[in-house]
Amino acid sequence: MQRFLDPAVLAGISSLDLLAKTVVDGFVAGLHRSPDFGFSQEFAEYRAYTPGDDLRHVDWNLFARTERCYLKRYRGETNSQLTVLLDASKSMQYTSGPPPKMDYARFIAAALFYLAIQNQRDAAGLIVFDDEVREYIRPSTRPGQLARLFAGLERAAPQARTDFAKPLQHFTHSLHRRGIAILISDFYADPVTIVREIAPLRFRGNEVILFHILDPQEIRPVLGSSALLVDLETEQRIEVVPEYAKTTYRAKIDTHIEQLRSSAKAAGMDYHLLLTDRPLDFALREYLSLRQAEN
Amino acid sequence: MDFLAPWFLAGLAALGVPVFVHLLRRHVTIPRTVSSLMFYERGIQSSTRHRRLKYLLLFALRAMLVLLVVLAFADPFVRRSAAGSGGRLQLIVLDNSFSMRADARFAEAKQQALAAIAGRPHDSAAQIIAIGGRVEFLTQPIRDDAQLRSALDSIKPGDGHANFGELGRAIRSLAEATPGSVDLHLFSDMQRTAMPANFADMVLPANVRLILHSVAQGGTPPNWTIESVEAPAELSDPKDPKHSRVRAVVVGFNAPAATKTVSLIINGKTIASRNVNVPANGRATVEFAPLDVNYGFNRCVVRVEGGDAFPDDDMSAFSVRRSDPERVLFVHPAADTRSTTYFGSAIVAADQSSFVLQSVASEQSTDLDPSRFAFVVLSDVASLPTIFEHSLAQYVAKGGGVFIALGTHASRHGQVPLWGSAVTDIRDSSRTGTASTMGQVDFSFPALAQAEPGRDNGGWAAVKAFYVAVVDPGNARVAARLADGTPLLLDKQLGEGHLLLFTSGLENLTNDLPLHPVFVAFVDHLARYLSGIERLSGSRLVDSFVQLRSAAEPVGAVASVEVIDPDGQRPLSLAEARTVQSYRLARAGFYSIRLASGRDAVIGVNPDRRESNLEPLSPDVLKLWSGSSTGANPQNSIASQLQKKDRTTSLWWYVMLLVLVATLAETAVASGHMGTQREEV
Repeated sequence: MQRFLDPAVLAGISSLDLLAKTVVDGFVAGLHRSPDFGFSQEFAEYRAYTPGDDLRHVDWNLFARTERCYLKRYRGETNSQLTVLLDASKSMQYTSGPPPKMDYARFIAAALFYLAIQNQRDAAGLIVFDDEVREYIRPSTRPGQLARLFAGLERAAPQARTDFAKPLQHFTHSLHRRGIAILISDFYADPVTIVREIAPLRFRGNEVILFHILDPQEIRPVLGSSALLVDLETEQRIEVVPEYAKTTYRAKIDTHIEQLRSSAKAAGMDYHLLLTDRPLDFALREYLSLRQAEN
Repeated sequence: MDFLAPWFLAGLAALGVPVFVHLLRRHVTIPRTVSSLMFYERGIQSSTRHRRLKYLLLFALRAMLVLLVVLAFADPFVRRSAAGSGGRLQLIVLDNSFSMRADARFAEAKQQALAAIAGRPHDSAAQIIAIGGRVEFLTQPIRDDAQLRSALDSIKPGDGHANFGELGRAIRSLAEATPGSVDLHLFSDMQRTAMPANFADMVLPANVRLILHSVAQGGTPPNWTIESVEAPAELSDPKDPKHSRVRAVVVGFNAPAATKTVSLIINGKTIASRNVNVPANGRATVEFAPLDVNYGFNRCVVRVEGGDAFPDDDMSAFSVRRSDPERVLFVHPAADTRSTTYFGSAIVAADQSSFVLQSVASEQSTDLDPSRFAFVVLSDVASLPTIFEHSLAQYVAKGGGVFIALGTHASRHGQVPLWGSAVTDIRDSSRTGTASTMGQVDFSFPALAQAEPGRDNGGWAAVKAFYVAVVDPGNARVAARLADGTPLLLDKQLGEGHLLLFTSGLENLTNDLPLHPVFVAFVDHLARYLSGIERLSGSRLVDSFVQLRSAAEPVGAVASVEVIDPDGQRPLSLAEARTVQSYRLARAGFYSIRLASGRDAVIGVNPDRRESNLEPLSPDVLKLWSGSSTGANPQNSIASQLQKKDRTTSLWWYVMLLVLVATLAETAVASGHMGTQREEV
């Protein structure tokens, strides 16, 4: 089933619904044990009745057999709220081979939505942003939410530049219940600035995960000769020699990633670097582990 | 550098193509998008400089490619002084004449020549030349030591006579064809007799430096040899005291007076020995008589007994053929008896040969077979029986000889029998009142041969002709003419044989030749020439030629000749045996030869007796000779320097090699650029 999680294979699937179902089912089937994150009303233990307890929780069947009054205890409600903040700036359309970063981000978001809504009964919402908020779908568990989310993902076309301040501000205002916020972006900005703008999410009790989507060519670019490079967002052009891309650039991008990782960790956020040539299960596993920790 | 084809330089205009491509045609760079330039830095200056450098390299390669192609078609060459780095041509001349057999001269000379080859400058070419009976170039100018040594080893001591004059002529011809300087190393005994009569023949060109390597060290050793042998080549009666004898001359070179024993050896058996006192540096004659030989060819040797410094020259070989007297057919008009008398008397009186004259009237000659006769004389025969004339024609074609004399009946000759042309006029003194005298006599012609003719024209000056027929000589050789230019004696080759035409008579009516002593000698030589006796036996000198077949077109089937040399080998191949006309007698000893006419011959061949005189050239002469080629004449030397030809070396191949290299480099560089563009796309 692992092959269904391969981004190159998923890139051939046009329907996000089918894609998300394929990814999640494949991912769930591949787990060694069934997820113990049961749905609500799941039995936990018996406890002796004490005055004042709600009689609705008394196990009358047990009382009839043993004439003792015990209360059934259940695991509490585990419904959570997942909000995916998807960066749809122009830089996300870069690719050195299928899929583009934007598509890869869509795949992850779709899979997460499917997993959250269909499997976890969680509320899920979406914010698509660049330098403005382009799309906002409020987290909900209503029927049809998954379809709305997928449609929102479909509409998310890369444009403009990235600005984390405005969308996060919007998110902060619209958030009424704590939950999990997943920020999917290529984070071409100063790490300190990024973390500083995202940090308020964490203060309100949200679990914040940063999925850093990068193309392998962005980590280890290869230039055969000096080339004229064009910035997708600013359309600025500069000539770069291969030696620079081979040495200085790599050092800089490594430093950037490490700085982002350490800053996020310092701010209590999880940071994960996802390359577009790697399977999607890593992102799903990360979500589920956080979901478990929340309970 | 120069250009043979300057018009090809117009191709340099093609240099504009790469200039257009690199300067006027803009390079299209397809931009490459990236997510962000956040981590990139501008490298415009460095990258642009790098690109320009790379493109300049491509441009330079392309321009060089065009330039080289143009140059290649312009055929560039460089002129080098032939005396420059190429070194001087080393001529290794080894004397292998007969005198080099004395002592160990030849081995020593060859050893020195080998050392000269080994010690020559490494970059100089050498050429091996042998100088014996003739100058032989054994190799081309080469640098391969092995080939040079092999050529030198192939030289064997010969029996010929060296002549420095011939060497000088050969080297002068060689120097004209060879640019640059030449070192001539001569390894020889520097024999005085090798010097030509004219010193100018020995002089070498100014660009030839003569280095003499003399192997004749010390004084000249005494040497005795047989200088000459006088013996009959043909002998019919061994008891004839006039003919049957051998007279040999013994000569001593640089020798004191001594008594020498001279032996006559016939067919390997010593017949007689004589003691003779040879004066110091003088000659002595010894005679052996009678000469008792067997029928057929007898191989005879006269030898000086007793050792000396040069034992190889102590003998002289000759062959004597004993046979019965040969018959001569004398055809004459029935009324003519004078010519028979005169000619018969003369042929009986001849020294060297013995013939019996058989005279026949022309009318009775129908059934005669000419092949039974040594030769045939037609004396004043106006016409012959057709059958006999046809037989005579075949006889001549196969190698026979016919002597035709036109007598008083010449005016009645329509067509001279056998000769093929008619009498056009008659010089009759009874009409003009004055008799014709002899004009030119060709004494090199065998029938008229005289060693020293003298002031009386060899005895012919007193001969007067009263009645001479005029015949168109055509392609015949005119051996004698009268003073008015009328041919008197003509020789024509017909097949393998000869026709001699005497335009006067053999009696005393048409001329007074029969009354002069020279008539006997003339008839004697004539008989020997026509009968071919001289060619069949006797002795010759080394390097003389023997004629195996006539030079004319063969009549009938081609007959093979055969030559067996002194070693018993057959030097002629089968193909050569059917075509070769003459053969050089290169070795001393006895040659057995079968001529194309079917006649056999045994010839004794002796080295030139000048080789027996071992006295070397005087140091002054040698110094003069060496100096003649090394700046003795400054004017010639300067002129030579001015005329010295430069050697041209074509650079075409080198340029084409560079074109190939430039093409490969251009391909590599250009494909690198194209690869970059593809990546950018």
